[in-house]
Amino acid sequence: MQGGQALPPVEAQQSDWQTQGSQWLSGVKDAAMSTLATGGGGGKKDEDEVYSPFLGLEKSQVLQECRVFNDPQLNPRLCAQLITKILYMLGQGEQLSRSESTSIFFGVTKLFQAKDDHLRRMIYLVMKELNPSAEEVIIVTATLTKDMNSKQDLYRANAIRVLCKIISMTDPTMLGQIERHLKQALVDKNAFVAASALVSSIQLIRVNAEVVKRWVNEVQTALQSDNQTVQYHALALLHMIKKQDRLAVNKIVSSLTRTPIKSPLAQCLLIRFVKKVMDEEGGGGERDRTLLEFLEGTLRHKSDVVIYEGANALCGLPNVSQRELSPAITVLQLFLCSNKPTLRFAAARTLNRIAMLHPAAVTPCNMDLEGLINDANRSIATLAITTLLKTGSEAGVERLMKQITTFMSEIADEFKVIVVDAIRSMCIKFPQKHRLLMTFLSNMLREEGGFTYKKAIVDTILELIAQIPDAKEAGLMNLCEFIEDCEFTPLSTAILAVLGTEGPATAEPSSYIRFIYNRVVLENATVRASAVSALAKFGVQLPQLRSSIVTLLLRCLHDNDDEVRDRATLYCSMLQKMEVSPDDVFGIGPAQLCLQPLPVPLLALEHAVAQYLAQPSDEPFSVFNVTMSAEMLAAERKAAHEQSAARRKAENHDGGSRHQMMPGTPGKAAAKAVDASVDYLAKIPQFAHVGPRFSSSKPAALTDPETEYSCACIKHVYARHTILAFELRNTIDDQYLQDVRVALDLAGTAGLEVEVELPCPALPFGVAGQAFILLRRTEAAPTGSLGCTLRFRVREAHAETHEPLDSSAGYEDEYALEELELAAADYMKRLMVADFRAGWEGMGNGGEVIETFSLTYSGLPEAIRAIVDFLGMEVCEGTGTPQDGARTHTVLLSGAFLSGAQVLAIVNLRTESAKQVGMRLSVRSADKEISQFVASCVA
Amino acid sequence: MLFSLIESLLEWLRSLFFKQEMELTLVGLQNSGKTTLVNVIATGAFSEDMIPTVGFNMRKVTKGKVTIKLWDLGGQPRFRSMWERYCRGVNAIVYVVDAADADNVPVARGELHDLLAKPALASIPLLVLGNKNDLPGALSADELIEQLALRDVSGREVCCYSISAKNHVNIDLTIEWLIKYSRAAR
Repeated sequence: MQGGQALPPVEAQQSDWQTQGSQWLSGVKDAAMSTLATGGGGGKKDEDEVYSPFLGLEKSQVLQECRVFNDPQLNPRLCAQLITKILYMLGQGEQLSRSESTSIFFGVTKLFQAKDDHLRRMIYLVMKELNPSAEEVIIVTATLTKDMNSKQDLYRANAIRVLCKIISMTDPTMLGQIERHLKQALVDKNAFVAASALVSSIQLIRVNAEVVKRWVNEVQTALQSDNQTVQYHALALLHMIKKQDRLAVNKIVSSLTRTPIKSPLAQCLLIRFVKKVMDEEGGGGERDRTLLEFLEGTLRHKSDVVIYEGANALCGLPNVSQRELSPAITVLQLFLCSNKPTLRFAAARTLNRIAMLHPAAVTPCNMDLEGLINDANRSIATLAITTLLKTGSEAGVERLMKQITTFMSEIADEFKVIVVDAIRSMCIKFPQKHRLLMTFLSNMLREEGGFTYKKAIVDTILELIAQIPDAKEAGLMNLCEFIEDCEFTPLSTAILAVLGTEGPATAEPSSYIRFIYNRVVLENATVRASAVSALAKFGVQLPQLRSSIVTLLLRCLHDNDDEVRDRATLYCSMLQKMEVSPDDVFGIGPAQLCLQPLPVPLLALEHAVAQYLAQPSDEPFSVFNVTMSAEMLAAERKAAHEQSAARRKAENHDGGSRHQMMPGTPGKAAAKAVDASVDYLAKIPQFAHVGPRFSSSKPAALTDPETEYSCACIKHVYARHTILAFELRNTIDDQYLQDVRVALDLAGTAGLEVEVELPCPALPFGVAGQAFILLRRTEAAPTGSLGCTLRFRVREAHAETHEPLDSSAGYEDEYALEELELAAADYMKRLMVADFRAGWEGMGNGGEVIETFSLTYSGLPEAIRAIVDFLGMEVCEGTGTPQDGARTHTVLLSGAFLSGAQVLAIVNLRTESAKQVGMRLSVRSADKEISQFVASCVA
Repeated sequence: MLFSLIESLLEWLRSLFFKQEMELTLVGLQNSGKTTLVNVIATGAFSEDMIPTVGFNMRKVTKGKVTIKLWDLGGQPRFRSMWERYCRGVNAIVYVVDAADADNVPVARGELHDLLAKPALASIPLLVLGNKNDLPGALSADELIEQLALRDVSGREVCCYSISAKNHVNIDLTIEWLIKYSRAAR
């Protein structure tokens, strides 16, 4: 651990602790073996030759030897050696049959008569490793309980570990009997005993949390221990006990950040908890100053592990700013020059991760990264190069690509994926280089590699095709070559689908037909089916090829797979009909059927078709008659939720680098996450009439983060309506809420009417719920603050199951929320323009409004962030970050207003004094009224 | 060389000492007074409230020149299948019966005969103790011999005493028998 190696993320910690027992065990094993190797073999003379004394150990022989356990006159030394052999065998993966391990187990229990310390220790170890069955293992309970009260620390500590393991394996309710002893052991003077009790409690909390939670005071005391290990384990346990209660976690964290902890590992844990607290507070509000200062303080710690953990945490903060990053980058830069490979690796990896979001912050490290290109450790070299690719200039690309080609074959798939990711982002950044990069990608595609690696390459090429028009033909051709020899069905089908949509629009569509038809001849059924669909897409879009495609499809009619035949039959008849007259299928035109996703979910369609077949009518079946049932809707909503949660998690994980291709577009990833959860809104029958969504806001919290109920609101804006989606959460474990709704006070804001209200029917503890309000706007864009109150019926709930108690009828209650702001930014959509100057000039100054303001901000970056937020517009041409120390700055903004009208803005900023920033805002759009509205929203 | 010499010397010394050692296993149904008896033998102290033995207790007791290793096993049904493992190779099996609990004597008889039927335990001497003879209605030694069918036991030494761990009745007799037995066995 001393080497500052990259610690696994917080989710992995649990298993981390779990493995600690076995790590400790293997340490003891090693120690035992080394004593045996040096002192045990008395006759060995040649010390130079080191070999294991257990080499070539035979299981049957060891089992034979186990007879010595039953000798009336025990030889402790011999027995200890034999146990070491058994442990060694188990460690080597030797399997013991049930009866074998049973007989060893009972043999070992007889050794409890010996008073030899060394032997006793080995007994404890082997007991845990043998994994005896529940019926057998209780035989040692009384003995262990006795040992647990022994005067010998060694006995006490080990007995606690073994006994707790037995309890968690067999009967967690037994914990009550030894609770008193364990509680004492937690605060034992002896560190080994205390640490054993703490580690055992971490195991036990999984099976009997109720009892372990009662030991909070003892654990708190253990946290004050002078011993580092005890402190570390105590912190881990304390966090596990309080995990469910965010308020308590915050309290622990804030109290511990004030009083320093001695143990570096505990400090690392604390950093992770701090990070988690800061993550949960979210990017919306102000950052907690003390926590941030604490993280910055860790960068000056003695231990490398802590410094790295602190730097890593700072780099991973949501919406981290350049200023917050710079101290972390400085220590990482020092690590890059360390002579320890682990430090270099860890630092390079972290820098690589943030290079995408904050290339400017990482640039100072470029010199040091250059030095690592030829690092003997290929993993470090890969990370260094890919980081340079992300931060470097266009000129360096060729050189770096050449470097990386030389050792592509030497690195593992996992790192190849990192390289591919770097190339993907570079292509977007330097579109002119696409030819070079595309060649590189196609070369990589030809080489050996696993599925994830190949998928990363294919995804990259697909993205390049979508983003860079010039790269399309070359990319498609590369993909065509790839599917000629592709062993991964999912990739083949994905590529075929893209060929179908993109191919017909190219200069020479017919050249793709051969590649696709080859698949029909050579591949498995899944690929054949997608090839048939791809062919049909060509046929639908290109009249000149239609007849030849029909010929090809006719050959597929005798395929031995149902799906392939069905598709071929459908498309054949469709294309042949198109020849005669363009006709509809199920009420949709052929082009739409082939090229666009179905307007209804498949599940609903299947259901509707089945119903239609059950009661056939004279009317033809139409897709537009398909309706969704309530449960389908609920399932859909759940899926969308999970999807967006997973995506959010992934984004937190890799710092959002995947989705945020361009620097300075922090809103993009968030908007994408919102997308998935919004799609189901359109499927709620009450909201069917609102039309397509214009924009969605970021979630705005209406409660403080650590209150009884939490509520956040997302505003979805439609042409004439606004949907308020409230994310609700109940954090009181003995309450069950029903009919939860948000009451709005519309008196202060003109132009809004509540049209539909959908309350959340039930809100149990810890489960997220949603309530909706559909507002109709009678005026174009009303702004103001709406008073909000949470109204609900409270029923008492069972503290553990969180189900409502039948005895509790409940009562109506309400809870005051903060006001909900409807701002001008809600009616604005971020919209990128290709060439801002041209757009600005083209718009003319007919609809221009110019205003000047004096704003109270202490710096330019802060002012820029606030203004972009106010206006809700996209920053163009990377003007979002001012030069360091600059006193003036110009920001270019672009967006689309509710009516769809384009709005452009130029913001000139100047620092007037330490607290004042002067601003001149020029807004242009087609309509002067819109410009005026936009300009006025800053004031 | 020196090392192995010391080793063999130690071995010899040990064998001298261990001649005086014997190993016993105490079994019997739960609540028959095994752990209490062990305590009485070891320390002479009687304790009224005992908790059931979960698993086994291992005690070493020195009486005169003899060291006795006592395996005191739990009597609950879930431990009964494991008795045999701790009876193998001992100098004597001590079977404790609650003589005042007539209802359970048939169960005790069944368990005893099951245990003695194990081939691994052939010819190991058996001492049956009818404990709690201070209580009214306790069976006498003769009645126990009758009800436990001890006369059917063959191929080993069998003895039966009526004792009271509480009042120290016949404890000395028991120890005497055991020590005598350890000499005879060696």
